[in-house]
Amino acid sequence: MIRQSSQALLVALLAPALLGLLVFRLYPIAIAIISSFYTTVFGDAAFTGFGNYASLFSDRRVLEVPPGDPLVQPPRQPNTNRHFPRAGPSLCARIPGRGRVPSVLFDADRSVLPTAVIVWRVMLSQGGLANGLLDLVGVAPQAWLTSSRLALYSIIAIATWKGASYWMIFIVGGLQNISPELYDAARVDGVRPWQRLIFITLPLLRPALLFVLAADVSINFLLFAPIYMLTQGGPAGSTDVLMYEAYKQGFIFGDMGRAMAVVVVIVAVLLIVVALQFKLLSAREQGA
Amino acid sequence: MAASDLKIRDGLRLGLGHLGYAAIAFVFLLPLWWAVVSSLRPNTRVFADVFPFTPKALLPSPVSLEAYVGIIQLGFGQIILNTLLVAAITTIAGLTLNAAAGFAFAIFDFKGKRIILSLVILSFMLPFEAIALPLYNVMRQLGWLDSIAALVAPGITNGLVMFLFYQFFRQVPMDYLEAARPDGVSWPNILLRIYVPLSLPTCISAALLLFVFQWEAFLWPLLAMPSQEFKVIQVGMAAFQQQYGTIWNQLFAVAVVTALIPIALLLPLQRYYVQGLAGAGIKG
Repeated sequence: MIRQSSQALLVALLAPALLGLLVFRLYPIAIAIISSFYTTVFGDAAFTGFGNYASLFSDRRVLEVPPGDPLVQPPRQPNTNRHFPRAGPSLCARIPGRGRVPSVLFDADRSVLPTAVIVWRVMLSQGGLANGLLDLVGVAPQAWLTSSRLALYSIIAIATWKGASYWMIFIVGGLQNISPELYDAARVDGVRPWQRLIFITLPLLRPALLFVLAADVSINFLLFAPIYMLTQGGPAGSTDVLMYEAYKQGFIFGDMGRAMAVVVVIVAVLLIVVALQFKLLSAREQGA
Repeated sequence: MAASDLKIRDGLRLGLGHLGYAAIAFVFLLPLWWAVVSSLRPNTRVFADVFPFTPKALLPSPVSLEAYVGIIQLGFGQIILNTLLVAAITTIAGLTLNAAAGFAFAIFDFKGKRIILSLVILSFMLPFEAIALPLYNVMRQLGWLDSIAALVAPGITNGLVMFLFYQFFRQVPMDYLEAARPDGVSWPNILLRIYVPLSLPTCISAALLLFVFQWEAFLWPLLAMPSQEFKVIQVGMAAFQQQYGTIWNQLFAVAVVTALIPIALLLPLQRYYVQGLAGAGIKG
């Protein structure tokens, strides 16, 4: 390592990028925390302490959001994810003294894109293909996106469809990591296929499955495009999820303080998921 | 005898298995296929064979490019160009800044390196969309709302790309540097002649990440461009859907084009991309 030889160079190399991270990644979080303690009264900011949080957590609608979200399993791009053919081992990067870090590109993936939403909007319309195929087996047409009974599940289905191919990459990577010799040995010992699944595949796939579970759940806390484009949280608030709630409060009702309180809750949940992931992965490291 | 019986049974099982996989693949690909097919139909024929359903619904008949001509006339070409512009600036600036930082992390030792590096990692583990709303306030303070800078700037510094470069440069043997430095080769020369050429595969992977970030951006451009005069592709698509919700074939055409452009760009580079990841020692 080079020490103190080129201080100026070091600063020139690091400063622009770090400044960017500071202003566009960290500062917004600070802003969110601070403004979540204010409320807007006749266009002016007024301090309310934990008022926004108190009203948030006493709002039954908001409390209902988290239990719904983890159900909304995987959103990810179906079209673009094939550009990320990461093999299993590439999930983790080693950095000194920190064990393995899942360097998986949260950043590179988004929640469900307008592209997928548009396709599904027509698929699920009254005269769309979904109803057409149901008609084949004699089921009456369903109001997929306009009935409060079905809308949330339709959106979950869209997100799942969208994410399937992306998350599959990690599962396939995990499967490839399992040594074929184990299966050969099992076969020689006369182990049945379902036993192979339960005693070999699933335990060895656990890290990959855990990762997908954590990443998938957390990315779905940010589900936005399908709600914005298809249901606007309706009908009857049945598809009101956290991210859309934050958008609505801040940009439709103009209550930035409340919107920021929702953002702080989202960020806190995501940080907890990240921390859990580190913990689980380092536990595996020690166990191995 | 028994052996050939076994063979037949194995073959049968394998065949049935693959039939099952094909059925699952069909269900997952069906919406995409239907989207492509419908984008090639005249608008009046999009729902033609759906009720009652006939397999003809899955074939484009008659074939028509009406939808694609239509979306160009509605200004989608401009929207695509806008997006390419934003993505190109982001990619070029992002490569430079993040590579420089990654290099610094890999080559130099300095106080607080560990902590800063941890923050970099944290910055990409927290999905960008989570901070999009407060970022709006940052841009309002900067007075950048409704300007291209508001779209580009947050995409440039990318913790993940920084980390990729850090990983890569850490693997380059210090011998190169130790040979060049005492010979009096200047830093810019060392960077441009040794490290930049070495890191080309990583650059390609990084460029793809940066490009896709902008191509898929939706929530952020929606917030950052309140006047909606300069639209990028995903926002343009959502607006199009709200405005022309019943021109089905054009909706599909827009979706198909939006999906195809990055695929066309990235498919030839996929090999480099994988190599880049392997070369960067992401394997751990």
